[in-house]
Amino acid sequence: MHSARWVFTRLLGVGLAAALAVVTLSLAVTGQLSLYINPDSAWFAVGMAIVLLIGAPLTFLLPLGAEADDGHGHAHDEDHALDRGAPRRASLGRVAAVTGGVLSGAIVLTMLVLPPTALSTQLALERGTGAPPLFAGSDTVALATTGDTASFGVGDWASVFATATDPDAFVGKSVTLTGFVAPDDDGRGFGLTRLVITHCVIDAQPATVPVATDDLSLPAGQWVSVSGTIRPDPDGTLRIAAADVTEIDPPGDPYEY
Amino acid sequence: MTPPAATTRTRAGLWLAGVGVGLAAIAVLVAIRVFVPELFPAGVQDRLQDGVTLALSVLVESLPFVVLGVILSIVVQVWVPPGAIERWMPRSAWGRRAVLSLVGMIVPVCECGNVPFARGLLIGGFAPSEALTFLVAAPIVNPIVIITTHQAFGFGDGILVARLVGGYLVANLIGWLYSRHPDQDALLTARFARSRELVACETGGRGRRSLAQLVIELRAVMPALVIGSALAGAVQVLVPRDALLAIGSNPVYSIVAMVALAIVVSICSNVDAFFALSFASSFTPGSIVAFLVVGPLVDLKMIALLRTTFTTRTIAGIVVVVLLSAFAIAIGVNLLA
Repeated sequence: MHSARWVFTRLLGVGLAAALAVVTLSLAVTGQLSLYINPDSAWFAVGMAIVLLIGAPLTFLLPLGAEADDGHGHAHDEDHALDRGAPRRASLGRVAAVTGGVLSGAIVLTMLVLPPTALSTQLALERGTGAPPLFAGSDTVALATTGDTASFGVGDWASVFATATDPDAFVGKSVTLTGFVAPDDDGRGFGLTRLVITHCVIDAQPATVPVATDDLSLPAGQWVSVSGTIRPDPDGTLRIAAADVTEIDPPGDPYEY
Repeated sequence: MTPPAATTRTRAGLWLAGVGVGLAAIAVLVAIRVFVPELFPAGVQDRLQDGVTLALSVLVESLPFVVLGVILSIVVQVWVPPGAIERWMPRSAWGRRAVLSLVGMIVPVCECGNVPFARGLLIGGFAPSEALTFLVAAPIVNPIVIITTHQAFGFGDGILVARLVGGYLVANLIGWLYSRHPDQDALLTARFARSRELVACETGGRGRRSLAQLVIELRAVMPALVIGSALAGAVQVLVPRDALLAIGSNPVYSIVAMVALAIVVSICSNVDAFFALSFASSFTPGSIVAFLVVGPLVDLKMIALLRTTFTTRTIAGIVVVVLLSAFAIAIGVNLLA
């Protein structure tokens, strides 16, 4: 009975941590870690996963239950200690511990066996706040005005379109961008959208640039590659006039960072 | 009597067998990871899959910080001589708490790693109210959070200053309130109080004690972290964000909405400023400050982690104090900005 409890202790602590370390390393080896976190912090995640996988086998040197051994020849039983005070609360506590343990084990097992996947475009579309996200602020706009926009993605252009004080400086620039289709209310095209991640997917926010095109048949969520030129609307806001819109498969690296 | 050479051989054999079993267990995990996902080529339904993706991203991001926190906790408990840290602390209770709320400036762990580190402080002899002061201050008063909040907001609307000063004051307020509690140990769960006693009388070499602490700390933190992350992921795919955002410009309701959002999304305090930035144009500055003060202290993930050590009643008190303080600070900012 007691040994089952100590096995449970190991599984829920070292076991869950080791399983997540294996998931982290497998994602790093297959180049898919960027589906979950910003590649800039990959070294830290991978480094600590390796530390954990070195430490985990070493814990097998400790006999089961030895972590609760007080050196006086017997292991303390936490539950008995609890029982003395309030038996009903102790058994409730035990039920909660077992339920939480089984639940967390099931969640990690699901993560271990499901193939890696990016967030769905459907969720990305729901996450729009209606306000333009300002990912990089003034630095991006300053860089844009110097003309070095070759590496700009949807997120960078969305910042520039929203914050540029001199929109005319960008009119006529050619751009080629990849993203997915979001509905555009004014019926003149669609919003080219991409999720931008700062740290990990939970902080992902959609960035959108308006695209003018005659082809209004593209369904929301369809990935496309757009080539075109930046043009001003009559009200001074910027828009990409599409020369070519090509439907593509979802890319292996669907986010921008 | 067994000759010493035979004892050494037996010990080496046990050592190898133990590590061998450990490596075999990890090989099984790797095999599952490599072969089983092949059986789900089409994945599962979008919304469930999105929930799993979000929860896993939080876990992959926070696991290294938890490991770092556990390592630091082991260092404090096993490798630093007892009382060594306390000798450097001021004698007065106020002074000790004031210093502890600045420890986040030099301990490089974020909020998930702070919990195992604070457990280390408690086992090392600090009072629960002192450990709480550290736990509440560290996610806000630390260099990375200061830099990212400055990058996002500069000094505009006093958001950075209000966040830092607010976090520091709330931490010391909570520390003071709980220092008035006559029975400090009653703030802790029976399970944690028990592991604290165990560590106090634990024997064996430092290596063995370090391994025992690794087992104990991971057992305490991992299920809470997994469930907290899963809750954060689930709520994100189930609660429509528009519902929270429809009330952004009202000076009071906007604060309620941003506080609710902070509790739900459970973003790491190192980057939550960038997340909050996208709401800055449609929400009041006070509500942004409320988001930045509440999120690191009492979001879903953090509450689950705190529950490993503190009683539900203690945590309820912390949540109430944090929420009331955040509201007061936010309304102050809205009036001044």
